Amino acid sequence: MNLDEALKTFIIESGELLEQMEAALLRIEQDPDDPDIINDIFRAAHTIKGSAGLFGLDYIVSFTHVAESVLDRVRSGELHIDGDLAALLLESADHIGTLVGHTAKGEEPNTESADLSIAIMERLGAYLGNKEKKTEGKKGEEKKAGVPAELDHKIGKEGGSAVESDNWHISLRFGKDVLRNGMDPLSFIRYLATLGRIVHIVTLIDSIPPLKEMDAETCYLGFEIAFNSAADKSTIEGVFEFVRDDCQIRILPPNSKIGEYLALIQDLPEEDMRLGEILVLCGTLTQCELEKMLQQQQESGAPVKIGEALVEQHIVQAPVVEAALQKQKQVKETKTSESSLIRVDAAKLDQLINLVGELIIAGAGASLAALRSGQADLIESTATLSRMVEEVRDSALSLRMVQIGATFNKFQRVVRDVSKELGKDIRLEISGAETELDKTVVEKIGDPLTHLVRNSMDHGIESAEVRLARGKPAQGTLKLNAYHDSGSIVIEVSDDGGGLNKDKILAKAIERGLVKPEQQLSDAEIYNLIFEAGFSTADAVSNLSGRGVGMDVVRRNIQALRGTVDIESEMGKGATMRIRLPLTLAIIDGFLVGVGNAAYVVPLDMVLECIEMSDAERNATANAERGYLNLRGEVLPYLRLRDMFEVEGTPPRRENVVVVQYAGQKAGLVVDKLMGEFQTVIKPLGKVFGGVRGIGGFTILGSGEVALILDVQRLVHQLGNREQKMITAGQ
Amino acid sequence: MAKTILVVDDSASLRQVVSIALKGAGYDIIEACDGKDALGKLNGQKIHLIISDVNMPNMDGITFVTEAKKKAEYKFTPVIMLTTEAGEDKKQAGQAAGAKAWVVKPFQPAQMLTAVSKLVLP
Repeated sequence: MNLDEALKTFIIESGELLEQMEAALLRIEQDPDDPDIINDIFRAAHTIKGSAGLFGLDYIVSFTHVAESVLDRVRSGELHIDGDLAALLLESADHIGTLVGHTAKGEEPNTESADLSIAIMERLGAYLGNKEKKTEGKKGEEKKAGVPAELDHKIGKEGGSAVESDNWHISLRFGKDVLRNGMDPLSFIRYLATLGRIVHIVTLIDSIPPLKEMDAETCYLGFEIAFNSAADKSTIEGVFEFVRDDCQIRILPPNSKIGEYLALIQDLPEEDMRLGEILVLCGTLTQCELEKMLQQQQESGAPVKIGEALVEQHIVQAPVVEAALQKQKQVKETKTSESSLIRVDAAKLDQLINLVGELIIAGAGASLAALRSGQADLIESTATLSRMVEEVRDSALSLRMVQIGATFNKFQRVVRDVSKELGKDIRLEISGAETELDKTVVEKIGDPLTHLVRNSMDHGIESAEVRLARGKPAQGTLKLNAYHDSGSIVIEVSDDGGGLNKDKILAKAIERGLVKPEQQLSDAEIYNLIFEAGFSTADAVSNLSGRGVGMDVVRRNIQALRGTVDIESEMGKGATMRIRLPLTLAIIDGFLVGVGNAAYVVPLDMVLECIEMSDAERNATANAERGYLNLRGEVLPYLRLRDMFEVEGTPPRRENVVVVQYAGQKAGLVVDKLMGEFQTVIKPLGKVFGGVRGIGGFTILGSGEVALILDVQRLVHQLGNREQKMITAGQ
Repeated sequence: MAKTILVVDDSASLRQVVSIALKGAGYDIIEACDGKDALGKLNGQKIHLIISDVNMPNMDGITFVTEAKKKAEYKFTPVIMLTTEAGEDKKQAGQAAGAKAWVVKPFQPAQMLTAVSKLVLP
């Protein structure tokens, strides 16, 4: 993850927030006092401003700030949204969109936008009255306000001579609650040490009560610190910014006047004499200076009250420092904007991936040749080479990986439009937006996903009346979720609607002749019927769905991506459509196994473990094509590849079982020998072999031989089906 | 071992930038998109600092911090709250909830890093 990606996220997110803001602004016209809607609008502006600030997009920050201020007044009830203000805010939202658009293109706003910014800001300003102007000015004044000029003088006059030490002196008395507030005094001192050198530190334990009365959660500590640093006063003060309210903090700059130390000592809770000694201990004061000070104290009689304002002293330096920092920041910002995205033709990327594929095959060939030659150094260098090739492969593939978030976010609009069309109130929840998958897959998944989303909204989620009658909230929820699961990416579309009606589907399927009445079907099989061509149980055909075209197309599209789709549903509670797709389309890590003379590849990410088949189990099932194994107390259905693919010859004395998992189901594949990990470029099978069950493609081994890639999902599915049928038949 | 920071904000880009800045400085980051999500992540794992926005959907930052402080493991976890200059009233509510450190939005990543290192050094 880098800043460019974050900026992309910002652009997408802003678009989304602006859409929300727009929708809320449209809603507010009907319901001008709804605090939730107002808060939504405010939050959108607020979030955009906050994020824009992080990227240093000042033109967005300054504009959004004004809009936010107006909205804040609305939120606090000082201002009422009427048609004009709503229109102006809509215009502002559009303009923020334009400004973000500039960012997306990587350019500064042109004069036209800049002028428009000013024009809209002026109009917004009319709603602010004088309030905003005041806060603008406040920042500057605030800093100076703390120290009346005369006080500075006073200290100078009465202070006497300067002490010799050129260390800062910091007195800390932590508040009783700092620990309870999660603040660790030590962490501030540690941070202080990063700004300079702590010359000397004395811990004051005077206020710790006897053990019996002591509360372990209360902080009783104080510190006197002599600190050597080139940092200015506001920086050092800044160290304690988070505890300023609870704690007594006194900071004296180097070479302060003795009078100031005197004031300090009198101001602190501990006994004067003891403090004086501590200051000497810190090396802040010399013994001689202390004596002089005490003398001065006696002469003046009354203690000098200097108070809080002392801390603010020397603040005048701050603007100078800030100006310097500002300049540094500007230099940094121009730097980051230069290193932006590079747009590359997708075809070039495809070519690169193809080449990497060939490279892997060639590399495997070289490794094999090296192994045969038996030369150690050659083997070693080919091993290094394969590792590098592997890395090249991964980074080439990662070039194609994009987050699914952008695709998901498009559905905000779809869901809004469709819910309006259907007259239903439906909310979209997105999770797993950061899940990455191949760009080609992302492009092709949009349509099927739209179909599923519409389908769920139309047929899944009930109307508000029905929902209320069933004791659900009137607002329906549609969820889009994505995650990685053993080498595939899973995309879920779930709704909290009525769920699928098994009986209705079955009746319809029988009516359409898709299944025979006497057929025994598992739940999953019944649900999957809705993906058959020409199937629809919707009572009314709506504009959106229900005509029975679509679901079969959805399945075809997903299968074209080597993916699967299945449904999980509970009557009355909702349904989840789960799309499972391979991560990449071109290259996989494979596990090579041998049966007789033939080699097969199992996708490595589906392999859980390999076990040896015990003689007892072998004898028990020697003649069966399929059977069950006892895997540490778990029933493991298995397939004998030798029988499945009708490989000739007799099985070896020892057979191995590769345990694979797909979609939560485990299965064993019985093979002759295990040949290890292997990188594989998937080559599609020709049309002639299209009907072969259990084979997903083929690949060329380093030796030039062909190995078949097993379609594990199909095999596991087959085993699963058999199990289901046996169970249903048993019933 | 790297210190772990929980970043709670409804803006994914803000979380990303903060993550980049803090990860770069050697912290481990856990992200959460709102108070509710964040509360779920407080599952007993050690968290050295919480950075939370105030205004968020589902559960706002103040409620989240109040709830978090009720859990024994997170009672003493420092909290930095993110706020706008317009949020003075919120600030008081937050102080009451036990969030004493505030960073004003919009901020630069470096500012956040400074604020964090005052409370927890990597």
